[in-house]
Amino acid sequence: MDIKILDSHLREFLDTKATANDIAKYLSLCGPSVEKLAKTENDYIYHIEVTTNRVDAACVLGIAREATAILPQFGFSAKLKKLKVNSEKLIVKKSLPLKLVSSPKLENRLTGVVIDEIQNWKSPKWMIDRLEASSMRSLNAVVDITNYVMITVGHPCHAFDYDKIKNHTIIVRESKKGEKITSFDNKTFALPGGDIVFENVDGEIIDLPGIIGTKNSVVNENTKRVLFFFDNNNAVKIRRTSMSLGIRTIAATLNEKVVDPELVPAAMALGVDLFRKICKAEPASKIYDIYPRPYKPKVVATSKEFIEKTLGITLEKNKVTQILKALQFDPKWSGRNLIVKVPSFRANDIAIPEDLAEEIARIYGYHNLPSELVKGELPEPVFNTPFKFEEALRQTLKGFGGTEVLTYSLVGQAGPLRLKNPLGEDTEYLRTSLKPSLVNAVQENAGLEKPYHIFEIANTYKPMKNNLPLEKMMLAGLFVNYDYRVAKGVLEALFESLNINHEMVLEPVNNAFYYESKVEKLQNSVKTKTYVPVPKYPPQIEDITIEIPEGKLVGDVIQSAKLASKLVQSIELVDIYERKFTFRISYLHPDKTLSDKEVEREREKIIKTLS
Amino acid sequence: MQDEIRNIRNEFVALVSDVESPEELEELRVSYLGRSGKLTSLIKKIKDAPAHERASLGQLINETKQSIEAQIIEAAAKLSDEKVGFDPTIPGVKPPMGHTHLVSQAIAEISEIFSRIGFVRVRYPEVDWDWYAFEALNFEPDHPARDNWETFWVDAKAHPKYGPMVLTPHTSSGQVREMTRTKPPIRMVNIAKCYRRQSDVSHTPMFHQFEGLVIDKNISITHLKGTLDYFAKTYFGKDRVTRLRPYNFPFTEPSFEVDISCDICGGTGCKLCKGGWLEIGGAGMVHPNVLKNGGISPEEYTGFAFGWGVERVLMMKSGLKIDDLRTLYSTDLRFLYQF
Repeated sequence: MDIKILDSHLREFLDTKATANDIAKYLSLCGPSVEKLAKTENDYIYHIEVTTNRVDAACVLGIAREATAILPQFGFSAKLKKLKVNSEKLIVKKSLPLKLVSSPKLENRLTGVVIDEIQNWKSPKWMIDRLEASSMRSLNAVVDITNYVMITVGHPCHAFDYDKIKNHTIIVRESKKGEKITSFDNKTFALPGGDIVFENVDGEIIDLPGIIGTKNSVVNENTKRVLFFFDNNNAVKIRRTSMSLGIRTIAATLNEKVVDPELVPAAMALGVDLFRKICKAEPASKIYDIYPRPYKPKVVATSKEFIEKTLGITLEKNKVTQILKALQFDPKWSGRNLIVKVPSFRANDIAIPEDLAEEIARIYGYHNLPSELVKGELPEPVFNTPFKFEEALRQTLKGFGGTEVLTYSLVGQAGPLRLKNPLGEDTEYLRTSLKPSLVNAVQENAGLEKPYHIFEIANTYKPMKNNLPLEKMMLAGLFVNYDYRVAKGVLEALFESLNINHEMVLEPVNNAFYYESKVEKLQNSVKTKTYVPVPKYPPQIEDITIEIPEGKLVGDVIQSAKLASKLVQSIELVDIYERKFTFRISYLHPDKTLSDKEVEREREKIIKTLS
Repeated sequence: MQDEIRNIRNEFVALVSDVESPEELEELRVSYLGRSGKLTSLIKKIKDAPAHERASLGQLINETKQSIEAQIIEAAAKLSDEKVGFDPTIPGVKPPMGHTHLVSQAIAEISEIFSRIGFVRVRYPEVDWDWYAFEALNFEPDHPARDNWETFWVDAKAHPKYGPMVLTPHTSSGQVREMTRTKPPIRMVNIAKCYRRQSDVSHTPMFHQFEGLVIDKNISITHLKGTLDYFAKTYFGKDRVTRLRPYNFPFTEPSFEVDISCDICGGTGCKLCKGGWLEIGGAGMVHPNVLKNGGISPEEYTGFAFGWGVERVLMMKSGLKIDDLRTLYSTDLRFLYQF
């Protein structure tokens, strides 16, 4: 996911002399990648790509944490600054009521506090600037505070109108299919079912938690009392609902990646502080907190050897300790073995020794590792692969004027293998032949009058019972505007050059000729070339013109001529005039030069069989 | 007599270069090779020579005759060209010219480079079971790539053990298949069509990837770096270097995003790159769970893998400036004839 944060916002948590350019450069090398650093009038905006496993870094505080571990590797001192919140304890004389009926399967933590007497609804400029840098629109101070807390600490939160929650009771349940909600911005959605929803005592849905607020409970400027609320929900359900409904709020994209519930107290403190400072409001209840499964520090064990083997270098124990501590891990050595306590915000992402090796390697710097080729034994070669032969087909056809096309394996023509979730009607089926795709290609080139030859080498897919489809690599092509003899000649020349002993039929398709064959079949028909001694005596060559009646096949004529005389070395068709065909015949005897008389005898044999 | 023969030959060489017309050339021919020509007269004299010299003299005269004949043909050709006004600027007659596809050209080059450093090229199913495409590669059951928005699923009966049928979204599905096919040392390059549910200027629903997989004893990040540098220099040019940045993939740990130095600005930063670097693709050290799923002990062996887009490296190499990747799969001959 991509986040955008202001440099001034970052520096509220990060104490360093490194410039924005330095921060961008070194974060990219060792942590979240800064895709762009945009200069504004008197600030910078970092555009940062945070990988899905690092939702902890998808906020200002998270980036500051990364920077404090990374910058010192490049010689910059960097320290994390504490959240500047009013440390005054939250003591309320008379707490307003709130009843939370939770469902531990659906959420990990529910935390809320009632804020009373909102006196100011206008956000200060600094806050608007920071929200806008993150592409968030300023609505009013109350909503802005919730968004600001989210982009700062990384935990989404919500502001309800406390007085719109009947009996001050929120019940968590799963939705039924087709239940409708209207979002705060007036869009109506029918729920797919099984979504996490909040309902009131009348069974009416009053929120789609973790994704979007609903109109019937949202704050507006008539709101007197706000329920400032954190819900940490089942991430899988959040993704499913958000994707099905196409509601991709920032809150949803964070919540679907498992946000750390341990962030709530800090986020709550920041929020309450801002309500006091900006809205001149005060908490009017205790903090209600349902948190049945608090975080127990996770422990991962590894060793010096393992870390060094993964990185390919030797590394001092001190260096390892320093790096892990900078990332807020708690490492303990016992000899060469290492036990590491994982901070709560990394609990979902660090599980095995390899994860720790990655943390050490990236902060140490991948650029500081040497680069060397793999040594050792070579793998067993694989014999009889098709790759060389396929390339020979390509190169030979190219040499004879063919043009290779690449078309999608997915087609619109109905076939036996259908996709469950196609992108469109024209890519719904796996093809069983290359023909429709090549015919389409001809349509795309309609109007071209010059002859052209296109071909493709690609798989076709045939369904198999209780197994994967059979994938057959095919060679297929189309000769368009080609003379039949010229087209056929290309295939004959292809087979002759690659010594393929096989025949391919050209099928007329409109003004074109189509061919298709399994590549494997062609490859299996390749004959090894053997040496034939060059003839010692010259052949006798002569042209014979024969009239072949309509209906009789030229191929048959040539075949019977070859059979008629053993001395015929080759017969070539050199001319056609009406039904008169001129053949150039070579006669060859291995042991002597044939005399005119001997040739005449052979010629007569041929003519006899033909007439 | 031998000297005489040689003199005749030398004399002829001198005279033939001065010939200016076919008539003069014919005159010259007759005076040497004609019935009473200089060489012919010598042939007649062989019989007067001592018996033991005759054979060698005959041979010498024969050679001289052949040489003179060849020079006459050459001179004749030269004279006739001059006569018709030979025009070397006239356009040639081209044989029909064909084209292989840009993607095929890239694949041929990539497989050749990896074969030089001992990689074996393989091919595995494009339509495969969920096990090979996701499960064995350590994808969580609810990983976004496994949902209906990112990956194409085939409407077919699921395998009782290997799960539903999928159009492979990456060549990584060949990793566990290769581990099952052969034992380490493994150096595989798997180049194949892949499918993802996306179509826009920089994505096509079908594309090609090449997957490298190396498994052996003591394989570390340094070997991954060495291999990627070798490829980058060979494919893109000797001045190019790669760098690794942290990334995240389920089937590698650590995981990297690989960048290559920008050739336009030479690595100093320009409009086309990010601070001197261009993203090329993902890589990482094979996750121990993946090795286990391939029947290989992670205690004994380690490995690295990378899977990059063929179209991507092709576009980065050639500066083709194709602004819409979907153009590559166009069958418009005006496009295909360009390469």
